[in-house]
Amino acid sequence: VSLVSCWCPGAGQDVGRSCILVSIAGKNVMLDCGMHMGYNDDRRFPDFSYITQNGRLTDFLDCVIISHFHLDHCGALPYFSEMVGYDGPIYMTHPTKAICPILLEDYRKITVDKKGETNFFTSQMIKDCMKKVVAVHLHQTVQVDEELEIKAYYAGHVLGAAMFQIKVGCESVVYTGDYNMTPDRHLGAAWIDKCRPDLLISESTYATTIRDSKRCRERDFLKKVHETVERGGKVLIPVFALGRAQELCILLETFWERMNLKAPIYFSTGLTEKANHYYKLFITWTNQKIRKTFVQRNMFEFKHIKAFDRAFADNPGPMVVFATPGMLHAGQSLQIFRKWAGNEKNMVIMPGYCVQGTVGHKILSGQRKLEMEGRQILEVKMQVEYMSFSAHADAKGIMQLIRQAEPRNVLLVHGEAKKMEFLKQKIEQEFHVSCYMPANGETTTILTNPCIPVDISLGLLKRETAIGPLPDAKKPKLMHGTLLMKDNSFRLVSPEQALKELGLAEHQLRFTCRVHIQDPRKEHETVLRVYNHLKGVLKDYSVQHLPDGSITVESILIQATAHSEDQGTKVLLVSWTYQDEELGSYLTSLLKKGLPQSTP
Amino acid sequence: MTRECALLLPGVCAALADPRQPGLDDTCLEKLLDWFRSLTWFDPTVELVQDNPCLPELITSVLALPEPSPSILSFTLQLAGILASSETRFQHLQEEKLLGRLFGREGPRGGAAWEEASVRSAWVKGVHSMVHHQPALHFLCTMGGMDVIFALQGDPSLFVASAASQLLVHMLTFSLESETSKPLSTKDCDWPACAQMIIKHIEESLQSSSASHIEQSLKLLTSLFGSCFGSCYAAWTEVLWLDIANQIESFLLEDTVKAQHVLANLLLNVARSPVFCGTEGSFWALVTSALEHLTPLQAGPLAVGLLKLCKCPQDVRIQALTVLLQPMDCILRAASQPLEYAGLLDESVSDPVTVESLLSSKTSCAGLLCQTLAHLEKLLSLKHLRVDLPCVSLLRSLMTILQFCNGFLSPTSPLGSTISRNLINCFRVQKSALDVLAALSEKKGCDTLIGSLFDVLLAYLQSPNTSPTVLKKTFQATSKWLVHLQELSCSNSQWQQTEKILEDVFLVLQKRLCSPCWEVRDSSLEFLTAMVKCLRDQKEFRQSLLSSEVLRLTENLLEDPESYVRASAVTAVGHLALITYCAPESPVIGNPYNKENTVAKLQEILSTDSEGFPRRAVISIFTKWLREGSGQLEDTEQFVSRVIQTVEHDLDWEVRLGGLELVEVFCSQTICQLSPCPYAPVSSAVSSPTPQNELLQVFCRAKLFGFLFRSLCDCDKPVGQRACDVLIGLRGHFYPMSTLENPQEIEDSPAGRGIAWLQRTLRQGSLAQNFPTDGGDGVDFQDPESMMLALGAIDLLELHDELNKSSNHVEESPQSLLQDILATMGTIEDNEVDCY
Repeated sequence: VSLVSCWCPGAGQDVGRSCILVSIAGKNVMLDCGMHMGYNDDRRFPDFSYITQNGRLTDFLDCVIISHFHLDHCGALPYFSEMVGYDGPIYMTHPTKAICPILLEDYRKITVDKKGETNFFTSQMIKDCMKKVVAVHLHQTVQVDEELEIKAYYAGHVLGAAMFQIKVGCESVVYTGDYNMTPDRHLGAAWIDKCRPDLLISESTYATTIRDSKRCRERDFLKKVHETVERGGKVLIPVFALGRAQELCILLETFWERMNLKAPIYFSTGLTEKANHYYKLFITWTNQKIRKTFVQRNMFEFKHIKAFDRAFADNPGPMVVFATPGMLHAGQSLQIFRKWAGNEKNMVIMPGYCVQGTVGHKILSGQRKLEMEGRQILEVKMQVEYMSFSAHADAKGIMQLIRQAEPRNVLLVHGEAKKMEFLKQKIEQEFHVSCYMPANGETTTILTNPCIPVDISLGLLKRETAIGPLPDAKKPKLMHGTLLMKDNSFRLVSPEQALKELGLAEHQLRFTCRVHIQDPRKEHETVLRVYNHLKGVLKDYSVQHLPDGSITVESILIQATAHSEDQGTKVLLVSWTYQDEELGSYLTSLLKKGLPQSTP
Repeated sequence: MTRECALLLPGVCAALADPRQPGLDDTCLEKLLDWFRSLTWFDPTVELVQDNPCLPELITSVLALPEPSPSILSFTLQLAGILASSETRFQHLQEEKLLGRLFGREGPRGGAAWEEASVRSAWVKGVHSMVHHQPALHFLCTMGGMDVIFALQGDPSLFVASAASQLLVHMLTFSLESETSKPLSTKDCDWPACAQMIIKHIEESLQSSSASHIEQSLKLLTSLFGSCFGSCYAAWTEVLWLDIANQIESFLLEDTVKAQHVLANLLLNVARSPVFCGTEGSFWALVTSALEHLTPLQAGPLAVGLLKLCKCPQDVRIQALTVLLQPMDCILRAASQPLEYAGLLDESVSDPVTVESLLSSKTSCAGLLCQTLAHLEKLLSLKHLRVDLPCVSLLRSLMTILQFCNGFLSPTSPLGSTISRNLINCFRVQKSALDVLAALSEKKGCDTLIGSLFDVLLAYLQSPNTSPTVLKKTFQATSKWLVHLQELSCSNSQWQQTEKILEDVFLVLQKRLCSPCWEVRDSSLEFLTAMVKCLRDQKEFRQSLLSSEVLRLTENLLEDPESYVRASAVTAVGHLALITYCAPESPVIGNPYNKENTVAKLQEILSTDSEGFPRRAVISIFTKWLREGSGQLEDTEQFVSRVIQTVEHDLDWEVRLGGLELVEVFCSQTICQLSPCPYAPVSSAVSSPTPQNELLQVFCRAKLFGFLFRSLCDCDKPVGQRACDVLIGLRGHFYPMSTLENPQEIEDSPAGRGIAWLQRTLRQGSLAQNFPTDGGDGVDFQDPESMMLALGAIDLLELHDELNKSSNHVEESPQSLLQDILATMGTIEDNEVDCY
């Protein structure tokens, strides 16, 4: 019996700050290292002090795995590796490694810009952190050390997102990160093989929801943009540098092409160039349709979308502008918003959630008179729209993944307690596996039954098959042999081979017992009497009288001597090997009863 | 609390208590609690409860809910705790009979809600906030609260368990320091009731047979001795310690407790407490015994902690150091032929066999070495270490470890070959050893080994098996030791060795600069820059550098596909320029690189590179050049002008900020150059323009003012702040304090109208579309006279204040929070998951 234990400094029943610690067969792995965007203080990062209690981080943790580039999964990484002091290996997929620093840098710039914070990671720290990252390919088994191995599976959700299998010996855990079981416009669906892990750690964002088709939301989005542009208005779409922005760009680009629209679409900041570059570079990670059309036309080479210049915001006429940051809390997007807010013809579309305190949050909650810096009041007359495009697995998708992977236990994270409770019951009912949903800071321990693979020597195998039926994978068979444990490997060999390999001599263990018999005759006569008696009683056994005067019954040896003090008593020395324990004991008890008088 | 907030609060409370409202984002509730906490913190006597009856009403209505949501219940518990932190507010809440229903027996504990870790956590936090006066303590002790807290120490949630432990520490300290007037000498019935309960609980747990109870109590004691230095001066901590010392000793000796690392932490915290600073006594005997009985892995943190203490008996110190050196000693002995090296230590603290067996085992070898090396690095970084480190032997053993790791050393001894098998290709150990090696470079006395040390380092730099992370550390250690080598060769004139080493280093650097792995190229460039920074004045270094291919390769990397590498290449090229053609000494003959070429290349990067890092690197190199340069003013003027015109339109605000820094340096240098020396004889003939005018003309020609004034309205705040700082500096130069006393005078002048308009425009904030461009009716930024007036007329100080306020005051103001909560209630759908 072995243990897999797992605790969440910041992912259990909470959206934001994904960070899970898994201990499996003595190895400690941190899964994701996310931040919470809703806080500006220490609370934005997971509380690592609970891990540092166990000594130096680098010594305690065997590796860190990042599932994808979203900040709630990787935002605390530079803090963790460069400020808290973790110096060990970090694993992520190639696209995540390429894109992660862009988002971290984007977020750093916004944070430092807005708050003038100094106690935050720097660009150099982000770079130093990324240099520690080992990039992995899908389905590549990566050996972290001699015992620990990890393997990435496609997760959909965003470019480069992966689920990870963590394996030590025969024990394994699968961590899904965020995933999506239905393909979308540019990504495919998550997939995993039937790996039967001891534990599946799954996100449960949409634990109770069956999501409608994303197509409807996309149609709705295009309709709104189109209407605004048609009536001569301007559309502002605040986005983060990468992710949703590219998805929406593809949408608009194809729509513009189809409808032959002329209004300009701009993308602010130079970040998009690099972002689109990565989408091109990692074309194999996108869905089939994009890959197929790639030969004729690369989806990410936009004809209609052009780089934005600060002066364009004042141009008359309709236009669509993607601007960072995504929550309207600083910089370019906020500046454009201020310019356009007063005109009811214009529209702002928020394609994602905004944290409390930001202008984005305020306008989404319906506030129309905003106090800006310098105590000015900004009246918002433009239309405000919210669009959800997030790509998580819904309840159906989560169940589907469990069906695929066939885990022995399930642990739900990254969701709301109430919704998770519902899903937990459903999982337990349908799959008859235990399902856990630990709160932040809570440890879940799972017992596993490790099966230990053992190599069998050919000789032993041949011998065994000679006796019994041929080996059959479906019918487990018991085999006997000597187990050799050497250099971390286990081998079952025949006892003779074991002796040979280990250079040991064979010793025989014999049980002996003395039985006293009253018989005044000479010793050889007593022996003869015993022989005749046994031959009579043990008809099915081979009883022999040997020339040296001893008797054997099978392998059991009987010798007689006269008692040193009393010549009338003969001592029978019975000796047997442990294999013949039963017969030996029986013989002894038989002899103890004495010899029949009538024997001649 | 402001009036606006007081008006908003009842609505918020009503909304929070309404079970039909969808749950609020948890961060809002947390921030609301932050606000109440700050209100009571800054003014403990503030009458929140009486002044805002909506608060107790909120608590009452939440308590009346049949099934309050865990988040609102948690919020209420914490809110009540914060409110009850003063005695009067506590009494008010008691009168309304609310506290018992929250924290007492009728409260949520034991109910279904208690299953939620967040509710238990909130209960503990609430109690913690409340316990700041005697009635609260009394209330808890009589309402059975103590047992709940004791039980929560073993909570399945680590957060709850740790909070409960912290709470007990707080209560014990508070109870002893507030309830007793006379100093407590021995533990007796003088001790306050609450303290007695806690101490009895500690003692009972320590004597219990339950390992988890023992561990909880040890942790509690650890934080008690560790967290409150103030109270550790109090005599009661000593009394408490004497009471439990025997028990602790038995844990050490008996080995039945499996919490040895907690024991080590406890001893360290007690050692740090001033009560035990005397060097005599049984306490230090206990520490010594701990160093002997704990395994090297457990004793390590204790040893390094002891070595950092100012007051620690010298023999304990030496013993602690021995613990740390034992593994290094073992490495040396394992590697050497018999009697070649004597090892590091004359005698060891614990049985050397223990260390040997740990190092022989595959699973523990790397762990022990990494920990030991990390401790040694910490010791080397200490300014005052009160014991001597055997640096030479330490260096030798570090080199041995590194050679084991890359397979360059195959020892004959069985122990040695086992260890080397365990260590081969072990990146963790390599990195730790290189860190210590770098730290050791600052210690004296290792000179005899320097040749063989560079052999090891070069082997790492050359080996294709060196991983990028290890290579980076090797570079860091190498550059540190190169500095040491230079110092050494200056003193003993052994230039040949230095030249040979530098030659080898550049050869390997050439190879690494062409690595297919961007991490390696980048680290190589960083290494090159670090070397140039430290060694630029050394002739040998410059010669080796210029005779290598490094310069050419570095320039090639300006076009690297990876932006991080391009940025590092820019920095490296910039620093190289300082020693090749910007150096005051004659440039090296035959050098194919000239300044114009480089400047043109960097300027091209600044205007065309699609990413921020290289552009930021260029602007900071330009600033560095300007700081160090001795170019002609005219050239510089044109150069600066060109740069700021490029930078002004950059989308990356940090590049624009860099541009302002360049302007600042340029201004101060120009002012220095053009201003008359205050001690120079005043010439009577004033034929040339006054220095002030000339300055203004230079600045106008360089188009500085347009850039500065426009930056005031930048959408990114740090840019505006910096521009304002620069302008304030300039104004200080052009308008000495006395002339600014009456700014009205300037405003009334004929040109003043335009300036006043500019000022209004600027005051309005970032309305960049209204801002004038040159020509038309707008302000002419190139006209020295207008600029002089602008500087005087705009209230830059007020603007500065405004810019410094940051947008946070809107985002973080309680009023904005309350408005957001009110607006959010019932309007926002459940869309939090779209956050990312």
